[in-house]
Amino acid sequence: MGSSTEEEYATFEEKVRRTVYLDNLSPQVTESVLRTGLDQFAVVKSVKFFHNETMNMPMCALVELDSAKKANEVISMVSEYAFMMAGMPRPVRACPAEVEMFDDRPIKPGRKLFCQWLDPCDPDFQVAEELKRLTRKHAAQAAFFLKQQLQEEEKLAMQQTETLKAQFKKLKMIEGIMADGTAHRLAQHYKMRQADNRRL
Amino acid sequence: MAEGEKDENIEFKWGKKRGVGGKKKDVQFYESFTYDGVEYSLFDSVYLYKEGEPEPYIGKLIKIWETADKTKKLKVLWFFRPCEILNFLSTNETRDNELFLASGEGVGLANINPLEALVGKCNVVCISKDIRNPQPSDEELQKAEYVFYRFFDVGHRKILDKTDDKIAGNDVKLLFNKLDSQKLVGVSELGLDKKDLSDKGVERNGVLDHPEKNSQSMSEKENCQLVDTLVRETADNKCSVVEKPTFSVGLEEASKSHDGLSTMCNGKTTPSSKVEENEDCKTSFGKQKSNVKSYASRDGLEREQLTKRCDTLKKSPSEEATLRSKVDDEGGKREVVRGSLGRASNVGDVKPKRDSNGLVEDKQSNKEQLGGLRKKLNEKSRDGMQKRRLVCDNNDDDDMKNVAPSAILSKDKRKLQRAKDSNAVEEVPSKKLKLDNKPTQLTPGKLHKESSTKPSDVEQKIDSCAWEVTRRPDAPWEDRMKSAHEQGTLLLLQNLDPSLTSGEVEDIVWHGFKESCFAKMLQATAFSSPHSGQAFVIFKRREAAESVAKKLKEGCLLMSNGRPLVGSFGYPSFPEKKPTFYGHLVVDQHRMQREMKDAISTSHCSQPNNIEYDMAMEWCLLQERANYSWKKLYRQQGAELRKVKAKLKAK
Repeated sequence: MGSSTEEEYATFEEKVRRTVYLDNLSPQVTESVLRTGLDQFAVVKSVKFFHNETMNMPMCALVELDSAKKANEVISMVSEYAFMMAGMPRPVRACPAEVEMFDDRPIKPGRKLFCQWLDPCDPDFQVAEELKRLTRKHAAQAAFFLKQQLQEEEKLAMQQTETLKAQFKKLKMIEGIMADGTAHRLAQHYKMRQADNRRL
Repeated sequence: MAEGEKDENIEFKWGKKRGVGGKKKDVQFYESFTYDGVEYSLFDSVYLYKEGEPEPYIGKLIKIWETADKTKKLKVLWFFRPCEILNFLSTNETRDNELFLASGEGVGLANINPLEALVGKCNVVCISKDIRNPQPSDEELQKAEYVFYRFFDVGHRKILDKTDDKIAGNDVKLLFNKLDSQKLVGVSELGLDKKDLSDKGVERNGVLDHPEKNSQSMSEKENCQLVDTLVRETADNKCSVVEKPTFSVGLEEASKSHDGLSTMCNGKTTPSSKVEENEDCKTSFGKQKSNVKSYASRDGLEREQLTKRCDTLKKSPSEEATLRSKVDDEGGKREVVRGSLGRASNVGDVKPKRDSNGLVEDKQSNKEQLGGLRKKLNEKSRDGMQKRRLVCDNNDDDDMKNVAPSAILSKDKRKLQRAKDSNAVEEVPSKKLKLDNKPTQLTPGKLHKESSTKPSDVEQKIDSCAWEVTRRPDAPWEDRMKSAHEQGTLLLLQNLDPSLTSGEVEDIVWHGFKESCFAKMLQATAFSSPHSGQAFVIFKRREAAESVAKKLKEGCLLMSNGRPLVGSFGYPSFPEKKPTFYGHLVVDQHRMQREMKDAISTSHCSQPNNIEYDMAMEWCLLQERANYSWKKLYRQQGAELRKVKAKLKAK
């Protein structure tokens, strides 16, 4: 105990500073995808996937890099430039990692835990009961909120799919008429000049 | 012998010889020379001038020789200036006078140049905190023209802070600051080793007198050099092979057979000579700053593809030092083994791939043989000490055709092996310790916490808790959770301090309910509540879980910070193999599948000139709105909690 745990914690904190938290990851993103994707920017030391078991969300990842500076760079790069992995167009999200995200974190030094059973006659008992109730309420709120968020995501995805399909159809059609000469014939018919940058 | 007058009648004089090599053994290697009034030694940092370049290149001499037709050549390991490798520097800061030493393999690592390209020595000081590097004094730093502590891998095009043990066939130790007599580490350790080997040394001396060695072979030379450097480090002998402590095993032999080699030992043999050399080396390191011309333009100068023609010759004293010190990394150990092996079998090099003798074909073939043997030896050496010894002996036998003193050599080898082993062993335990720390985090933490919080009946708790915890960690968490859920032994605890660890949760459960369990704190995600942490807890028996749940419902277990523990039966959600993930759209199903196969290459930043970008922006907007909402929610929840907590009497 004593200094060794503090050292351990300090080393751990240092590691946390070097680590990037990524989420909004598609299920197709594997460790190798992550590594290759981030290799261009920094040396990836380790990749760990995890997810919150109470919620049905896709995986998040903790990527440990070689320096805190690099980690910050990666985070700002991902935030500014819509970095996408294994699919488009939803970008991944990067945040600096926090201590609580790590599963294998060492114990915070210098903390003492206490617990006691409250006597029902104790006025604090009522307060504690209310706190318990509040906790449950909050948890429910969070869960509901999450559900809502997923619904919004779904909505946006659908919307974008529609747009994409329409755009694609349009572009394909244009490509088609250029390719098979329809545009050319029409231009001649209407005596218009057609720019001659045919089909690339 | 004065020679080498070129056009301008510049004074030139060879210094210490190192050995010979080449096809017809007509290439003479040297360790030092005087040119135009300046004395240069191996591993000095020098300026090299190229016509047309505004600034000279800076490099380190790693090989010096004279060919049969009396041309003098240098092999130079390059330093890069920051401006030459800007592309690869990214946002690293560099000092004004910083250089990067080339490492790795590839074009631009080193080149062979005529000696006449030299324009002077350069004072490059190495300020790397690597343990193999003798730290420079403040004076030296002030006097230094350049400094270096980082490396540039020419193969991978990366800046490295640390490097392997060999660069261009030379032990990295040789490339660091040269050892002084005042400098600790190498010297003192050498002394110790000397003592160890003194008796062996005697034997070896005798044995060393064998003339049968193919001292002509480059490999031998290399070995000798290794040996020499080793010897140098230990012994006070400048060149005399004989006196060199036997530590170097092969060194003595080698040095005996090649006085050139002994001279080449960069003066490590004698502390005094060492001092000289060290100083030279230091200055040479110091000068390494300047010759980093543009990376590309290096090709202009005479350059050879640097393959594995590392100069085993240039085994640095540091190698030996490592051998001695027994604390160096494997590289050092390997070097040592190489030395010993070399002695025995003329293979010498621990790293068989380093055929520094490109010049000498027959030597090369020897080397290959030896290399093969060495390789075999090395591979086997990984298996274990015992095996290694055996292999050594075998190799010795094989090599006996070449070298006479097999017995001694094998002994030496073994010694080196042992050194290597001990080094390896030293390292392994440390690693093991680290590993041990992780899994037992729970138990020690538990134990510690228990002792710190409730001193009463801690011992009992420790015992049972320890047992409980260690029993489990085999099955992966998800499976355990699943089975626990089915058996009804899974609880979800809430309102925990988010910074608690799993071990602490288990302790809390123990203290509160006198039940042992296995807990796992849920890892926080970006949208987890900062106020309340959650943990899944698995009990051994369903009755335990039920009783705890009941107690939690009816009673109030107040933890620190006014947190009453909340718990209920847990309903973990197991996402199916592919949980719904919105947002990745696909136009063409077939193309998508094809792309998925190369999924690795599809990570990219979107460019703002296409639809993809616009859509990505929409997602970003959605994300930002969600973040904002979560923050607001948690702020509100926090306020509610604080209000109620304020009513608590006890905290």
